[in-house]
Amino acid sequence: MNRSDPHELWEYMLTQVELSISSANFNTWFKESTIVKIEDGIVYIGVPSQFFRDWYQKKFHTLLLKIVRDVSYEFRNIEYMIVKDIARKPKEQRTRREPTPELPLNEFYINKSDNLNPRYTFDTFVVGSFNELAHTAAMAAIARPGITYNPLFIYGDTGRGKTHLIQSIGNQYKKQYPNRKVFYLTSEKFGTDYTDSLQQGTANRFKEKYRQYDLLIMDDVQFLSRKEKMQEELFHLFNTLYDNNKQIVFSSDRAPIAIPDIADRLRGRFVSGMTVDIGEPDSESRIAIVRKKAAMSGITLSDEVAEYIATSVTGSIRELEGVLNSVVCHTQVKGTPPDIAEVRQSLRSFSRPSKTVSVKHVVSKIAEFYGIEEESIYEKTRRREVVRPRQVIMYILREDFSVSYPTIGSKLGGRDHTTVIHSCEKVKREVAEDTELAKEIQDIRTLLV
Amino acid sequence: MIINIEKKEFSEAVSRVSRFAERKSATLPVLAGIAIVAGDDGIKLRATNLETGIDFKMGGTIEQPGVVALPAITLREITSSFSGTGTIKLEHTGDTVLISSSAGRSTLKTLAYEDFPTLPFPEAPTAKFTLPGVSIRTLVLTVAGCASPSTVRPELASVLLSAEGGIVKAVATDSFRLAEKKISVTGSVAPFSILIPAKNAIDIVQTLPDTDVDVLIDEHQCAFSWPGGIVTTRLVTVPYPDYTQIIPKQFVSEATLLRKDFEAVLRRTAIFSDSFQKIRVGFSTTEKKIAFSARNSDVGESSENVPASISGEAIELSFNHRYLAAPLSLISSENLSLSAAGIGRPLIIKGIGDNTFLYLVMPMNQ
Repeated sequence: MNRSDPHELWEYMLTQVELSISSANFNTWFKESTIVKIEDGIVYIGVPSQFFRDWYQKKFHTLLLKIVRDVSYEFRNIEYMIVKDIARKPKEQRTRREPTPELPLNEFYINKSDNLNPRYTFDTFVVGSFNELAHTAAMAAIARPGITYNPLFIYGDTGRGKTHLIQSIGNQYKKQYPNRKVFYLTSEKFGTDYTDSLQQGTANRFKEKYRQYDLLIMDDVQFLSRKEKMQEELFHLFNTLYDNNKQIVFSSDRAPIAIPDIADRLRGRFVSGMTVDIGEPDSESRIAIVRKKAAMSGITLSDEVAEYIATSVTGSIRELEGVLNSVVCHTQVKGTPPDIAEVRQSLRSFSRPSKTVSVKHVVSKIAEFYGIEEESIYEKTRRREVVRPRQVIMYILREDFSVSYPTIGSKLGGRDHTTVIHSCEKVKREVAEDTELAKEIQDIRTLLV
Repeated sequence: MIINIEKKEFSEAVSRVSRFAERKSATLPVLAGIAIVAGDDGIKLRATNLETGIDFKMGGTIEQPGVVALPAITLREITSSFSGTGTIKLEHTGDTVLISSSAGRSTLKTLAYEDFPTLPFPEAPTAKFTLPGVSIRTLVLTVAGCASPSTVRPELASVLLSAEGGIVKAVATDSFRLAEKKISVTGSVAPFSILIPAKNAIDIVQTLPDTDVDVLIDEHQCAFSWPGGIVTTRLVTVPYPDYTQIIPKQFVSEATLLRKDFEAVLRRTAIFSDSFQKIRVGFSTTEKKIAFSARNSDVGESSENVPASISGEAIELSFNHRYLAAPLSLISSENLSLSAAGIGRPLIIKGIGDNTFLYLVMPMNQ
């Protein structure tokens, strides 16, 4: 902050004053005031009328003086002056623009001729034990296209990086063989193209169009199930390309065997080359993914934060990216990467939007889970079968809902907050060691969603 | 705090004071309240919206001194429903006030008194004079309607009060028209000139008693005090435009007509005015009449002649009919004089035999 700039000093003072007085008071008394000048260590605050001057002197003088003294001892005193109506007119809003790392436009750019999104490359692809095989197969397919693994069939659950991998193949291929033609499409697009061509009577042109490519990448082929005409069309297309040693890459969310209602001759062709699956990413890979994606957005996360995000977001990589985006956004707004507490806070809102906690609800669910009477939780009994659920309740209220220790204590039959702290610590310790308990708590959490 | 008050007096006091309480809810809650102060000076009601403020004395007996702030609107609703005579008792306990009369009792939630601001009064008055309250009221209410409703230019949203040589005058203008009212006072009034925001001025003069009021002025604040209370307002400190320059000294055409004729013809012609509310006024010297005409493409058109005595040249001007009708309620004379200074120059309206009031209106572009 520039101390000698009245505007900046006043902004700072306002933020401090706002914390110390009620918002009604703040809005009434501070909206229209401003620092007029700073001279010889005296800060002159311009106020709209004598009402304000009297009240400032009576009520806010000590507070304001303390604030400016905290800024610098150069400021000896504050004086209030009633400024003329002209000077009080609202100044034009000064908006300071911070350079924010904006998303480059080409993220959204998709090449029309080959349909590939340049964002997906091998450089940004994180290889871990879960996708190592798929990655190697893809590399081999690029090295000797149409010969080594043809077709290459990649499958795995949603959000595991299939699309990323096959698009990377396309982009890499394009780079290595600039003169050859690549085309990426989803099976759904293939279907609409086909029906359109039938409608317009240009089926021949449709066939020609797809047969010219040296590398054809088709995403989500499982959607072809039950579409016999399209399957047939794909079958013929496949044969043509295959016979001409053109590389074909398929992706699907399940193995070819598991795709229902698909013609056997097509199924056979799918598995004729290399079939490889992408499994669930292990935690190390998740951390690596978090790191890499964060680095791509230009921010560095502490180990703690990266680990926390990777382990607490249990869903697919896509969900992981979603959380990471909110972290990136947070960083852009605040200027610093969030710390673990902030991430925990934002993750909570991310995973369970607008969830309000009712202690009674939690108690009844957990009591039900353990098959004990709900009342016994509130009682002063120390029976073993009650003590454990009670501790779990405290732990969950604390960890998942951030209820304060004293509140938990009073809600659960007037217990001391130290008891609650002890219980939470105990469960937390045990969860780390006891996988049975961890499993239980996981199950309970699903009940509470 | 425990006090006993006469019902009727309390009701009147509350209705006067509540005018000064804040009506917007966005600010400090206590500003929407009336503070009742029972102390050594008797019982006082206070209210302020940080523009104006009032401190109003009233009779009654104090059993136990104290202060309390009550919501103005609720209090006014309660007191205005009082019927009959008798006294009521206000008893403050905790965060409620018990209002009890012979017939019944009600409790009312209080507001936080600690936030109630102090009322500022001129500390070192640069001018001080005494005027009958009724004169101040006449001055302000006559002209205040011509002040601008917008606060973009604070001076135009204000009423100018000034004194010179035994004459006190009030002026307000919104740059389309201007009203000036003069009152001569007995005794000497030191020259002064203040700008009171028109909204505040209206509130204040309606509270003033008819009797003498002391006016105290300093640079930013002005207070009107009389034995029964004191009101205060902030002043606008922007220089007022030199309006005397635009009042024409010579006229090309002057007409005299009956006020009731003018009023009636305006009302009829206004029906045919267009979206700019324009009507045309033509002075015809040869036929001794004034022609009023208006045309609205949706409604139709109208023209009407009013007999008048006219001297000078023929001239035709267009005006906003609202601005022409505005001064009629402020003039008591039966005859009006309209004086035109030329094309594109203002028209002056006055009552014949009434030199205290002058109304100036700018013509619309032809």
